[in-house]
Amino acid sequence: MAIGFKSQCVPTYRVLTEDQIKEIHLATLEVLEKVGVRILDEEGIQLLKEAGCQVKNENVLQIPRGLVEESIHSAPSSIQIYNRKGNEVMQLGGDHVYFGLGTDLIYTYDLKTGSLRRSCLQDVVNAAKTGDCLEEIDFIASFALAQDVPTNLMYIECFKALLENSIKPIFFTAAGAEDLSVILQMAEVVAGDEARLREKPFLIHYSEPTSPLSHSKSAIRKLFLCADKGIPINYTPALLAGATGPVTLAGAITVANAEALSGVVLHQRRAKGAPIISGFVATTMDMLTSTAVYGGPEFRLTHSACTDLYHYYGLPVWGTAGASDAHCFDQQAAMEATFSILMGTLEGANLIHDVGYLGQGLIGSPATIVMGSEIISYVKRIRRGFDISQEQIAMEVIQKVGPGGNFLTTESTRRLHRQEHWRPKYMNRDNPDMWKEKGSKTYGERVTQKALEILETHRPEPLPDSVRQKLEELIKKAEKSLMGIKFVV
Amino acid sequence: MPLFEKLIESVIQGEEGSVRECVQQALSDHIPVKEILNDGLIKAINIVGEKFKKSEFYVPDVLWSAQAMKAGIELIQPFFQKSDVPPLAKVVIGTVEGDIHEIGKNLVAMMVEANGFEVINLGVDVPPERFVESVRAHQAKICMMSALLTTTMPTMKKIIEALKEAGLAGRVKTMVGGAPVTKQFALEIGADGYSPDAPGAAELAKEWIAG
Ligand code: B1M
Repeated sequence: MAIGFKSQCVPTYRVLTEDQIKEIHLATLEVLEKVGVRILDEEGIQLLKEAGCQVKNENVLQIPRGLVEESIHSAPSSIQIYNRKGNEVMQLGGDHVYFGLGTDLIYTYDLKTGSLRRSCLQDVVNAAKTGDCLEEIDFIASFALAQDVPTNLMYIECFKALLENSIKPIFFTAAGAEDLSVILQMAEVVAGDEARLREKPFLIHYSEPTSPLSHSKSAIRKLFLCADKGIPINYTPALLAGATGPVTLAGAITVANAEALSGVVLHQRRAKGAPIISGFVATTMDMLTSTAVYGGPEFRLTHSACTDLYHYYGLPVWGTAGASDAHCFDQQAAMEATFSILMGTLEGANLIHDVGYLGQGLIGSPATIVMGSEIISYVKRIRRGFDISQEQIAMEVIQKVGPGGNFLTTESTRRLHRQEHWRPKYMNRDNPDMWKEKGSKTYGERVTQKALEILETHRPEPLPDSVRQKLEELIKKAEKSLMGIKFVV
Repeated sequence: MPLFEKLIESVIQGEEGSVRECVQQALSDHIPVKEILNDGLIKAINIVGEKFKKSEFYVPDVLWSAQAMKAGIELIQPFFQKSDVPPLAKVVIGTVEGDIHEIGKNLVAMMVEANGFEVINLGVDVPPERFVESVRAHQAKICMMSALLTTTMPTMKKIIEALKEAGLAGRVKTMVGGAPVTKQFALEIGADGYSPDAPGAAELAKEWIAG
């Protein structure tokens, strides 16, 4: 056997060579230095000017490459995320892969009726419970948009529902810095105080620059608020190739990367070393229907490139998978979820959101989350690979059983089958008669059944009463201070 | 190739330069402006619309044709008053206050323009007052509002009410759209029309102006 032989084979995948990464990186730096980015916030402009950026015109600033490199270096390469109870659960960075939900879905594909309806707060509760129960879901998010809650309190009530129905880390959005600051106060109450929340964050805020090459006032204010408080922020653009970015994938990647890295610069200049998860989505706009494509092959290619880039930068990287363009929980949904989870896992993105998304980011489906969890489990088995050690090749066993024997009764089969062979939870492996006997159910029916069962039986660990009370008080105050006011956009 | 055939083909192919040449030629041949518009430019853009419906053309193709047509219209517009061509109907469009989603609204604007309207694009995060001012100042026939957030949809109702209060109710038609907007919602807030997509919005606008 060769010296240094590694017996564990682990399938991985990358799309860019080191030279290609450098090529895109240099192009990104050129965009930042020559084209610049539009900053729609006075404080942001001031901060960049002080850092040595040139004002190209009015609010477009050119960022010198040295500053970009410096910010990439000062941002942490790994971020420890805790759960609500303060246990370490996600180490974002390297090639650690975690999956979770997305936010803000306007419609829900109803589990009971199998039709579309407007989402409400109960759907957020349902998503939290579902995510809490499924072991493959590492973090939760609102999933649904609570349209039965007054506008300015929407994200606050969602956050409370998430806290109450799961202990898993929370990935969350906010309408503006106004409600975000209330949400952070709520999180402080749960953690104990501001310092303890900073020390053991169980939440990640999600905000985004605007393609092409712009940062809204609201996005910058959220970015700064999180930077100041040391709260992990996921600051990542969603570019549509051919509409808000170049039609070519390399061009789209370059522009989206410039948006993401200019976010890192703003963030690190505001608070060196503060935790940020970066990266981007660069998908296509469908040129016939003019919709934003969530399940297309280009999405996967550009995202694999994104992950290669951020692995090279040594920055935690965001991802999207388990999502589909289909408007109901059907074969297309399964196909797109599978491809994306497979590629997202093999490329090694860290914080992969949107499991269970349908209808191009407009529809949430709890059954699709359950399906996603099984695909994740399946794909993680692939990623674990297999061992080629002497013991695993099992020469002795092969000799012992010999030609014509059977391996079913060997000690090694009994001992190792659980770890070597993956077991499905909802997929069908019955023989035809058994399948008929069990009601000839489709995969979709079984998974929907499971989703319903979770909602009926799963009991998440409740928040302590004292904490609940304090949250109520905070929300009462927010009701007074936020109702009717206009948030900065 | 006869002049009009070339003009139409140039619009279909999105060749701005060639469209200008053809229109110049037609003008110096003293062909009536109305004819250039109806039998040339509009006829061409209708063919483009048909091709789009049949999925032979994609959005960028349509937009190129639209730009080429616009170049032609710019050349003949100064003569509208002298001939019996009515001025292009004006449309005010914007994404409502609190909302910065821009692409869909711009697509609608371009498609509407491609169908022979003059479009005043107010951009994003547009407060109700600006819609009203702009409709009044331009004597716009149609006011188009886009919203991509459920949280900003209610502002559309405010704009419709503000237009009424400003006494513009009978004079301007209102159209709403955007991913979360539905026909039902449009009815509830008293909008005159709704479209799920950009080509539909242009279609409806044309119907309204045709009476
Ligand atoms: C007048 O008559 C008409 C008639 C038809 C009309 C019309 C008017 N207007 C549009 N139409 C119609 O015709 C067009 C062409 O056929 C169509 O227009 P569309 O705009 O639908 O289609 C475009 C051509 C392509 N589609 C798009 O451009 C929108 C795609 C999605 C992914 C999207 C994007 C890209 C963005 N976003 Co935002 N975004 C989402 C979107 C999900 C989705 N699938 O819609 C949606 C709309 N966003 C959402 C959210 C939550 C947000 N976004 C935000 C920001 C952004 C970006 C800036 C990053 C970016 C916009 C970039 C830009 N320059 O426009 C934030 C809000 C910012 C703000 N105040 O506006 C933020 C709040 C996120 C945050 N926490 O920061 C969700 C809405 C939730 C809600 N409350 O309703 C969302 C559904 C995605 C999701 N599930 O999270 C039709 O709707």
